[in-house]
Amino acid sequence: MKRRLTNWIAAACMALPLTGIAATAEPVLIGLIYPTPVADVGWAKQLDLGREAVEEAFGDRVTTRVVENIPEGPDASRVVNQLVADGAKFVVLGSFGYMNDGLRLAQRSPDVDFIHASGFRQAENFGTFTARSYEAFYLAGMAAGMVTESNTIGIVAAFAIPEVIAEVNAITLAARKENPDVNIRIVWVNSWFDPAREQEAARAVISQGADVVFSLHQDTPSVVNVAQAEGVYVVNTGSDMSAHGPDAVLGSVVHDWSSYFVEAVGASLEGNFEGHDERGGLASGAVSVQAWNDVLTEEQMARINETEAALISGEAHVFAGPLKDQSGTERVAEGEALPDPEIFAMNWLVEGLTGSLPQ
Amino acid sequence: MGTTLVFLLSGTLLAATPLLLAAMGELIVERAGILNLSIEGMMALGAVVGFATIMATGSHWLALGNQVATGIAVGILGLGLSGLIGKPYEGMTVAPMKRIPIPVLSEIPIIGPGLFNHSALVYLAPLLAVGLWWMLRSTRIGLIIRAVGESPESAHAIGYSVLMTRFLAVMVGGFMAGLAGAFIATVSATLWSDGMIAGRGWIVVALVVFATWRVDRLVIGAWLFGLATIAELLVQGAGISVPSQLLTSIPYIATIIAISILSMDGRKMRLNAPASLGRTYNSTA
Amino acid sequence: MMRLPWIVEPRIGRTGPRALLAPLIAVVTTVVAAVILMSSQGVAPSRAIWQLYVAPLSSLYNLSEVLLKMAPLLIIAQGLAIGFRAKVWNIGAEGQLLLGAIGGSLLPLWFNDSVNPMMLPTMAMCGMLFGMGWAALAAFLRTRFNANEILVTLMLNSIALQLLYYLVSGPLRDPYGFNFPQSALFPQVAMLPSLFGMGRANVSIIVALLATVAAWIFVERSMTGYKLQVGGVAPDAARYAGFREKRAVWLSLCIGGAAAGLAGVFEVAGPLGQLQRVVSPGYGFAAIIVAFLGGLNAIGILFAAFFMAVIYVGGDMAQASAGVPYAVNTSLQGVLLVSYIGARLFVDYRVRWRRDITQQGVN
Repeated sequence: MKRRLTNWIAAACMALPLTGIAATAEPVLIGLIYPTPVADVGWAKQLDLGREAVEEAFGDRVTTRVVENIPEGPDASRVVNQLVADGAKFVVLGSFGYMNDGLRLAQRSPDVDFIHASGFRQAENFGTFTARSYEAFYLAGMAAGMVTESNTIGIVAAFAIPEVIAEVNAITLAARKENPDVNIRIVWVNSWFDPAREQEAARAVISQGADVVFSLHQDTPSVVNVAQAEGVYVVNTGSDMSAHGPDAVLGSVVHDWSSYFVEAVGASLEGNFEGHDERGGLASGAVSVQAWNDVLTEEQMARINETEAALISGEAHVFAGPLKDQSGTERVAEGEALPDPEIFAMNWLVEGLTGSLPQ
Repeated sequence: MGTTLVFLLSGTLLAATPLLLAAMGELIVERAGILNLSIEGMMALGAVVGFATIMATGSHWLALGNQVATGIAVGILGLGLSGLIGKPYEGMTVAPMKRIPIPVLSEIPIIGPGLFNHSALVYLAPLLAVGLWWMLRSTRIGLIIRAVGESPESAHAIGYSVLMTRFLAVMVGGFMAGLAGAFIATVSATLWSDGMIAGRGWIVVALVVFATWRVDRLVIGAWLFGLATIAELLVQGAGISVPSQLLTSIPYIATIIAISILSMDGRKMRLNAPASLGRTYNSTA
Repeated sequence: MMRLPWIVEPRIGRTGPRALLAPLIAVVTTVVAAVILMSSQGVAPSRAIWQLYVAPLSSLYNLSEVLLKMAPLLIIAQGLAIGFRAKVWNIGAEGQLLLGAIGGSLLPLWFNDSVNPMMLPTMAMCGMLFGMGWAALAAFLRTRFNANEILVTLMLNSIALQLLYYLVSGPLRDPYGFNFPQSALFPQVAMLPSLFGMGRANVSIIVALLATVAAWIFVERSMTGYKLQVGGVAPDAARYAGFREKRAVWLSLCIGGAAAGLAGVFEVAGPLGQLQRVVSPGYGFAAIIVAFLGGLNAIGILFAAFFMAVIYVGGDMAQASAGVPYAVNTSLQGVLLVSYIGARLFVDYRVRWRRDITQQGVN
């Protein structure tokens, strides 16, 4: 008991390197905090698969501890701090809202390495990881353009943050390229978590003619269930949800953090972790489209695979010029591609989308 | 266009049903003179376990009668417990409840599939409302409930048990809130996740006031509130942009205006609002 | 007509140690509930008690977290209690807190490179005015239109939240923040000085303690405070003595609103450092529990706020160290007040079996 007490005080007092002598034999504690509970599908589940990969890769050298369902806000800081006080040497912050407190703690604890989801600030021991989900959604958008018969695609989106806006734009560009007559209907739910409302939104766009629905960043299979019941196609975010909608899922955009987590933890164990901005896309395998629906013909799949290969090799770019926004202003010139910082700060809709971004 | 109208009708009905169910319970409770602010938590609990837990919490709240504090406490407790109990079911899906198309009526174009092709509870809610209206107006029980809410002292004087009446009213209210929560989880969403009631409990409290404690207006109010949420989604889908926060606030703003207008005219208010609403009553004999 | 088999009657002359009994029973019940709930999650009872009630006080850092959490609860509860004593039911502290946070954020966002030392005091004033203004809406509607303040403040909570969402994703959004729904970070002069030079506790706890003293003096020693209380306990007597009810409503709501507004400023100028979608983890509602748990007494509230903060912090730590779900925390808050109210029933009232009374009646 007393030893534990001393540990806490020591950790609290600027988190001086703890008893470095003991650390050699004991497994290194890795802490992960998730914004939502780990369910059988969803964002937290995918992070947790990354954790499992780490355990598998490093065996006895590490132990992991998960703290789930931590709301973003000042209280999250306490939880992270407690993990560090308990001796965690590597911390995964699973949501954007943990950024500022996480960064502050990282500055106070130079011997602990952090990786943070979706953030935009880095430090020596504080890296960030973001998915280029828009690349995968581009492929799914192609498929949507191919299979739609009503020429209407519906999008149920959580919040109008840049990551989601980029996905909406990617879907629109791809679907339009396959099928210039496609109409896009977007409904912003303005919530990360309200299954009943997400389903109402999905039904709304279906009633307005959509026969392919995109579920952008809904953690539960809410929209997938509706699509299955209503007999339309659906593309969801996060996990493979084809079990919830065997006929409906056109493809699932899946996040896979295993190789990045293993690499980052490995670097941390070796003592050469460097906080950088990891942007995992199709190329690194961090995002992919899985569970492609059989309705796509071989010829269509070939085109999709071809585009995927081009995006991976860098030959093609989702936001390649010429690209105009809604008002007709040119955003990207012919022969150029939108640079990363602008993709990750996207606040405009591409030409052809109606409506404006919610304030 | 046709399918949009069908959805406008069916979506409205589906969104309004849990509001109506919970609000009918709250109406009984408020008519008996109790202001129950734990709806949100109870709906959350209902979404997981139905009404079992209301038995345990119901009893505390009458005797001391501090309804505000107790309501909030029970509400918080309900939210917490629902999270705990629901943990193993996080994100799980159940099969949707069977739809029962009403013969003949469901054949009418647009209106048929919009209004007459739903699960049993959707039809049941307005029927219950008719029953509730009749009960409050013409039965002995209704009379007792109203008497207790209006003037507990007089009700007591003529031999009715104020505490017993309120106790039962709260039980019914809790049951209805639980039913509404269960409806959202098992009929409309067909899945459970922590926090899925998402503020609907507060809308229910607003709705009862908005309806000025009258059953007919409660039904219309629930449909209006349901219509507002569905219309917003359709408007967005049609590419017309509206500040969603303003739309979300409309039920609350409407309720404040309704309270103010009704309360301004003292007589009108007295016709509907239970006079002893929210006041503590101690029986001493 | 069916009757309950018991009746409840007030005890006459409640004094002395019995007043302490109810909070004590509530605390013990909560501890027992904590052990049961934690055990159900597979945590040994001794570990549960350690995590929830001892660990939060076991180091300077943790203590500083408790103080950080205690400050807003204490400030809001003191403000609310004054109104509750006058029987003015302001349950809109959550919304008033949000308005305070918004009001307090305007200056540091408009003058983002300011180094003016008057920044913090001005922010605090601004936030208090905003919180007060939001509460004053309810006071106006109550005094002018006789609108029930419970319902109005309740509705205003939901509207305040939507207002905050609108502001952080629109007008007050950080122009360099990649469009995330949050404001720019505050300049250093807009941040509350930390208390021990470490940890996150800041001067808000000192202000909260001063507010406690002020509340005590106001209630126990000032004429206005006395009038307010009389108005609550015996409205007819108060009216007879010439105290106006309208004044009590205005005063109660404005004090409560200002206190909640101040707490809102302290959240954005303290642990948050910016305006964002999540400003309060329900402090406005928790403070209602704290106010009642403290018996609406300034000193009692001090202890209640401390206990509540310990539960919060202990819960968070138990979550991190022992894997106990967040819901345990929420449940315990509920248990605390439900058992307190239950205990008050037995302390303030006598429960007698009807059968016994009938027999007495015969005698």
